[in-house]
Amino acid sequence: MARAFSALRKRSSAHPFFHERHASVLHAFWRYCCLALGLFLFSCGPAPPAPRETAPGVESARPPGYIVVCVIHGDGGYLFHDPDGNDYRADEEALAGAKRVAERNPEAEVFIFHQKRRRHFLLFFPRHDGEFYYYRNGRLLVQESYWRDQGQSRFDPEVDLYNRFRLEEQPQPIRLFLYFGHEIPEIDGTGYDASYRDRAFTVNDLVDGLKRITRDSAKFDLVVLSTCFNGTPHTISALSPYARYIIASPGNLHLSYFDLRPFEALDVGLRDGDVSAFAKQYARQSFDRLTKDIQTEITVAVYDVGRVQGFLNSVDSVYDHALTTLKDEMRTSVEHCDCAEDPVYVRPAMSEGIDVFYRPARFGRSTHKQVHSGWECLKLLK
Amino acid sequence: MLGRTAIRLIVVMLVMAFAGIAQGQDKLQNYFSDAACKVKVTTDPTQKREILDKSFDKMFKALNTVQGSPLISKDDKVGIDHYKAILQEKQDELAGLNGYERVSDAQLNAFADYVVQDMEQAKETVTISLVALLLIIIIVILVV
Repeated sequence: MARAFSALRKRSSAHPFFHERHASVLHAFWRYCCLALGLFLFSCGPAPPAPRETAPGVESARPPGYIVVCVIHGDGGYLFHDPDGNDYRADEEALAGAKRVAERNPEAEVFIFHQKRRRHFLLFFPRHDGEFYYYRNGRLLVQESYWRDQGQSRFDPEVDLYNRFRLEEQPQPIRLFLYFGHEIPEIDGTGYDASYRDRAFTVNDLVDGLKRITRDSAKFDLVVLSTCFNGTPHTISALSPYARYIIASPGNLHLSYFDLRPFEALDVGLRDGDVSAFAKQYARQSFDRLTKDIQTEITVAVYDVGRVQGFLNSVDSVYDHALTTLKDEMRTSVEHCDCAEDPVYVRPAMSEGIDVFYRPARFGRSTHKQVHSGWECLKLLK
Repeated sequence: MLGRTAIRLIVVMLVMAFAGIAQGQDKLQNYFSDAACKVKVTTDPTQKREILDKSFDKMFKALNTVQGSPLISKDDKVGIDHYKAILQEKQDELAGLNGYERVSDAQLNAFADYVVQDMEQAKETVTISLVALLLIIIIVILVV
């Protein structure tokens, strides 16, 4: 390129109207073109991976006592405001919290997947819509951009990255899975991603991802669904084969989500390895934090998966029948309700294996409702 | 020369449309948050009520205008109806209509927060296309 420029300059200098000033202008123009081309190629290509401080799987640090897998969905409307009018993006806040968890747990191996809105460079050139962070022993070892729409299954890219970097040989670690996003649909599921309106995402896709992450190994000790309306018989039942305890909200959950701070010191919170106690304490703390500023309903439930099976088995067919019926109905004609308000779901074992933290909305039609069963169901609007 | 100008205009419009789509949903949320902030800096309860009531009315006008537009699909009309129903509940509660107990003067700040938070959560259950959303924003900001 430089040689071509010299030749051009040599030829031009012989021209009667050519001046040295023209040459410098031409040179400057050429440099800007190169710079612009460089910037363009840089922006279209994958973000350079963060320098690895130590090659994953090679260093001799102590094996992690905790594995944390964190999926943060950010491809949708995630803006919220605090009472002072400051605006936040729920996914960015969750990402910052997850990074703090990763950095403050020297005994943990942490996988963070940030599913972002698809953006374009100069309107036409798509940019990566997923960002992966891998921490071990409190240090960021890998940061990699990826495409979310690769593969047949929804979580193909995430499962591939997880398998690429996870440590093979480990003594029994405590395994935690955290999901942050809007309600994970049980039927239909199209429109969940703002960038991929036709692509469906349902609870079954999440289950498929968990299945492939856990493979033949032990279940996740704790699954946290920081979403609205996923404390349902269907969702808990679907996740049952892959989780010992589940924390979810059967009602609306404000976008400030469950509090991640208790995860920042897993060595303290899980000192005795008592996941049940940790889950309840975590739910309580999240509930307390939410009740400070939130005026809408707050419901946080802890499901002991082994102990809720009796209730789940007794309502599985009823709930599935309701889902099948609702499949063809328009979304606006369906309403969420506490299962305890619908006689077909009421069972003596309904409260077995479940701890519920509930406060009704301070305004609206349901301010009088003082208790929640912890199970959310669907009903048709008349 | 004319061709070049036309191309430039198209590019500018594309950029504006792209930016508008990306921020359309956010603008709608900001609308209620701005109203809540105004309520909180006001000490007079009557003025607080007026601010909230006007914000509902303005939004209703925009929603009705967009709903009547031929650009809007049937699904959008259903979504807007649902959105209006949620909003109507808030306005009724503020005034103590339709079986609601009137929001007390002391609770107006908390009620303003409730409106913001409930409308932020409503976007999960109400499906409105980006085109309709953009029209609503444009009408709320520029026309009403």
